[in-house]
Amino acid sequence: MSALALKLYGRRDRLGLKGPRAAQWLAAQGVAVPTTPNTWMQPTGTGAAEELLAARLGTAEFFLEEGLTGTTLKRIAPSLDGHPPGVYPVLREDSAFILSGEQVHDVLAQVCNVNFAALSLDTRPLIMTLMIGVAVLVVPQNEPGAPGAAAERRDAGERQYRIWCDPSFGRYLGESLGAVVIECGGRTTGVSG
Amino acid sequence: MMYRLEAHATEWIDRSASLRFCFEGREYQGFSGDTISSALAAAGVPYVARSFKYHRPRSILSFANHDSNILFQVDGVPNVRGDVTLLRDGMHVAAINTFGGLWHDKARVLDRFSRLLPVGFYYKAFHSKRLFPRWERMFRALTGLGDVTLGAERVSTPKRYGFCDVLVIGGGPSGLAAALAAAQSGAQVALVDESLRPDGHKAPPALVAAVRGSASITVFPATVAAGYYADHWVALMQEARLTKMRAKAVVFATGVIEQPAVFRNNDLPGVMMASGAVRLLTRYGVVPGRRVVIVAANLDAYVTSLELRKRGVMIAAIVEWRAAPESHADVAACVALGIPMLYAHAPYEAIRGPDGGVAGLVVAPLNAAGVLDVKSSRRLECDAVLMSVGWAAAAQLFLQAGGSTRFSEELQQFVPQDFPPGIFAAGRMNGVYDVESRLADGRRAGSQAAAHAGFGAPSDAVVARSTRCPSHPFPVVDHARAKNFVDFDEDLQVKDLENAAQEGFDSSELLKRYSTVGMGPSQGKHSNMNALRILARVRGVGVEQLGLTTARPLYHPVPMKLLAGRGFYPERRTPIDAQHGLLDAVWMPAGNWRRPEYYAVAGESRAMSIDAEVRAVRTGVGLIDVGTLGKLEIYGPDAAELLDRVYAGRYSDLKVGMTRYALMLDEAGVIVDDGVVARLGEELFYFTTTTGGSASVFRELLRLNALWGLDCALVNVTGHLAAFNFTGPSSRAILQELTDVNLREEAFPYLAVRSGHVAGAAARLMRVGFVGELGYEIHVAAGRGAEVWDALFNAGTPQGLRPFGVEAQRVLRLEKGHFIVGQDTDGLTDPQEANAMWAVAMKKPFFIGQRSLAILQARGPKQRLVAIELDVPAPLPKECHLVIEQGAIAGRVTSVAYSRALNKSLGLAMLSPALAEVGRGIQIRIDDGDMVAARITTAPFYDPKNLRQKVGLGSVGLGT
Repeated sequence: MSALALKLYGRRDRLGLKGPRAAQWLAAQGVAVPTTPNTWMQPTGTGAAEELLAARLGTAEFFLEEGLTGTTLKRIAPSLDGHPPGVYPVLREDSAFILSGEQVHDVLAQVCNVNFAALSLDTRPLIMTLMIGVAVLVVPQNEPGAPGAAAERRDAGERQYRIWCDPSFGRYLGESLGAVVIECGGRTTGVSG
Repeated sequence: MMYRLEAHATEWIDRSASLRFCFEGREYQGFSGDTISSALAAAGVPYVARSFKYHRPRSILSFANHDSNILFQVDGVPNVRGDVTLLRDGMHVAAINTFGGLWHDKARVLDRFSRLLPVGFYYKAFHSKRLFPRWERMFRALTGLGDVTLGAERVSTPKRYGFCDVLVIGGGPSGLAAALAAAQSGAQVALVDESLRPDGHKAPPALVAAVRGSASITVFPATVAAGYYADHWVALMQEARLTKMRAKAVVFATGVIEQPAVFRNNDLPGVMMASGAVRLLTRYGVVPGRRVVIVAANLDAYVTSLELRKRGVMIAAIVEWRAAPESHADVAACVALGIPMLYAHAPYEAIRGPDGGVAGLVVAPLNAAGVLDVKSSRRLECDAVLMSVGWAAAAQLFLQAGGSTRFSEELQQFVPQDFPPGIFAAGRMNGVYDVESRLADGRRAGSQAAAHAGFGAPSDAVVARSTRCPSHPFPVVDHARAKNFVDFDEDLQVKDLENAAQEGFDSSELLKRYSTVGMGPSQGKHSNMNALRILARVRGVGVEQLGLTTARPLYHPVPMKLLAGRGFYPERRTPIDAQHGLLDAVWMPAGNWRRPEYYAVAGESRAMSIDAEVRAVRTGVGLIDVGTLGKLEIYGPDAAELLDRVYAGRYSDLKVGMTRYALMLDEAGVIVDDGVVARLGEELFYFTTTTGGSASVFRELLRLNALWGLDCALVNVTGHLAAFNFTGPSSRAILQELTDVNLREEAFPYLAVRSGHVAGAAARLMRVGFVGELGYEIHVAAGRGAEVWDALFNAGTPQGLRPFGVEAQRVLRLEKGHFIVGQDTDGLTDPQEANAMWAVAMKKPFFIGQRSLAILQARGPKQRLVAIELDVPAPLPKECHLVIEQGAIAGRVTSVAYSRALNKSLGLAMLSPALAEVGRGIQIRIDDGDMVAARITTAPFYDPKNLRQKVGLGSVGLGT
């Protein structure tokens, strides 16, 4: 079991896409995306958090975040300069956090009314909800490196939650979440608590 | 007088841990595990409170955390509930609602004047408009419970969301059985109980152990379910936490609340509910007195008598209200013990002793018709009277959940009748009284709730309601000298309710509001049932024809700290927040953003700094963070069509590379937002909204787009973009050094938009002029914002750049006569009233508000926004100061500021159209009541031909 922690993670390349032909365009660029709204996948490889994360936010809305070493977005972004019809790029400058550790569900229960503990990771759910008054996008994952990380577990200590929010709320969300994390005996990195 | 017995095995206190505490200036001792109430009772404190209206001495009534008698001021915290608050060493406890302390309360004299304070006396005696302020002050001083400590520290209490399959409310036998049955069906169960311990009720120990041992049951002890909300979410109140519990199904095993007998002086200290006395005895070893009289109308009275006798307490008599008790072993046991029995007798009057407590009970026989024969009354000596005459269902949560009840004549109790999906009831609240039946009823409800939540098959058991009536149908005794209290919170007597009903307040709702019955801290838990019975008698109808009122949540008083929680305040910050801090920004809230009001400079006052910021923009260059503006993008073939429909102006003919002011109306033709629309491509627009409007405008546009089915997509990039206004005569020259966009006038004219780079960052530049100078709004990705700001700041500083804040911007825009939506307009202002018809394309086929605006135009404006100017020596009015014409309100000032550039005070005012003539003088009433003269004039005040912003007059080159 890992200790409770909240981390603001550094700048990553991100891309949002909207539009009736966004899925086709991504496919044409060689980027696979989930077929079901409110789910996510890592289309290139199995190396968990280091890879591209592709999330489907709606029938025609997508969010992609590059892993630390990935180059997919750098490769495909220039193609958008030609304004392909039915494909609308969305600027994503989100603040992003990773919340993990043994008491992670205790923290989440104090800041959000979604029952994260009951989510099955098998379906790779993506949650769009409000967290202490801020619209967030949440992806629950098994912690990288945990034994059997690909397997479904409901054990909080082996889960991590990636949380994205509008950057203008980043400091508020980080500080507020951080305060709860510290109160629960955890630690924070990159945010004051 | 109450006292503590020797230790016994099942008590909840630890007699080896003594605690000292102070009550009303006197030292007392209790034990670890005591509550404040039990410790005071054990100490023999004769009374612990004063009543609300008459300031009569009061003591424990229910010991169930219901009555207002047990609210205390504890260590500066008001209205602490003594029945459930554990004693701490060194605690300072005081009574509330006293003048001069509990023992010498000066307001106790009010008891003698009770005849002068009949029901509704507020409305009858204090309706004089002239004297009302005096009465208001008096009543504010006399009423209210507890003293708020204004300097108290903010207490942060975490809120929590909870989730379960089945929520069981009530930890008695039926609740425990329900929880266990649901858990055995596979459900995750939350069990909530008010008792400090899970074994607080008379449940089989094996059942308690099974519940404790179940991994599927989470027990919430010392928790009040205080409110039910939609979709099965229930507010659970603990000492330092509110849990918002969402369940798939809810079992209400909330039990019943013991009801008092109503007779003269039934509020004397020492008169209390029998069930409360049993709790005091079994949990804390405290007995109610040395000679106890029990007023009985049910079997519980005999059970209580045996319990007390077992602990050596003398029962002076059982006064049985009924002709005779039922045949039962407990009754026979009481008879066998030789306890005196007075059948067909009722209490007539309690007698006050020298210590203020009860010293005797006058009882009288009832004739065959149930009428009291007062002439045959007799006095029973006693120091405690226990009332065991009936119960009322704790059905308020059930009613809040949408359930309905009917009145059962057999049980003299409201019982559940209709159940919304997912709602179940069990136990005494459901009219099931004996323990075995309650267990069976609990198992049935638990199984059915689990099945509703998707676990197992529902039980088809049928548990019959009790046939033995536990409640007297009318436990009320009239007395010529009254003081027979129905509502102990509000000091309401029988005659008060009768008079209210006779005055026409003869429905349960009206009676409640006029008499205030049930509106005190107990929320009618002890009073509503008897009040209904009295009302039914007055009207000559049955209780079933009156019905229960439904208390709104939260129906149990809770500390405000639990509602306040941690006090989260979602605040937005722009990407330049840190830079503002380094520049000593003085912050102000703007919507949910924080923005620099101005930048403090050593040696400068606030006004001097703002002046200097304004001057920099007018003479050199200024830089303001406008990242708080709403920033939206719209893509697609129908993008222009959507904008044409939602804004009053026309955008389908806007050329690519140009911008246009945008005014948004609601369906009523009222101005609700404004901004600038920029066309970046044939099918791509970028537009801004007001700072406070971004979320609501985006949401509304999404709704309309979905409704209309247009082929376009909206994106809200408000927080993802940084934006600055770099403005002033020098702005063009400085900016040109940092950008690859050609800023020459012919290449980038006024109102144009261009894409390029600023300080290496991809940027959109718009030549717009809210402050009336040559200027560029620069929009870059949030992550590049700080470096672009720094580049602009560093490049401009040698040219005298000053960052400017919201206050300077307000002055600058006012000099230009620009209005601010929401400040200079209100919730009724239409474009003609704001002189903004130039921004409206009425000839368009359709836009939101068009039809209403046409009607409003035909009707003519009801108000008019005008520019005003004042003589400088006059005091400056404030925004919202009123314009007075012939003694009547004729308008208000909406904006006002002193313009150093023009050396006069300027403003905007919303006036009656009849006054809105240029050159006319108006009078403005300021704070001290003085009148200040102003003149209506024309706007813009500054650079009326807008040459400075259009072509950059006064700038230092580059195409001008």
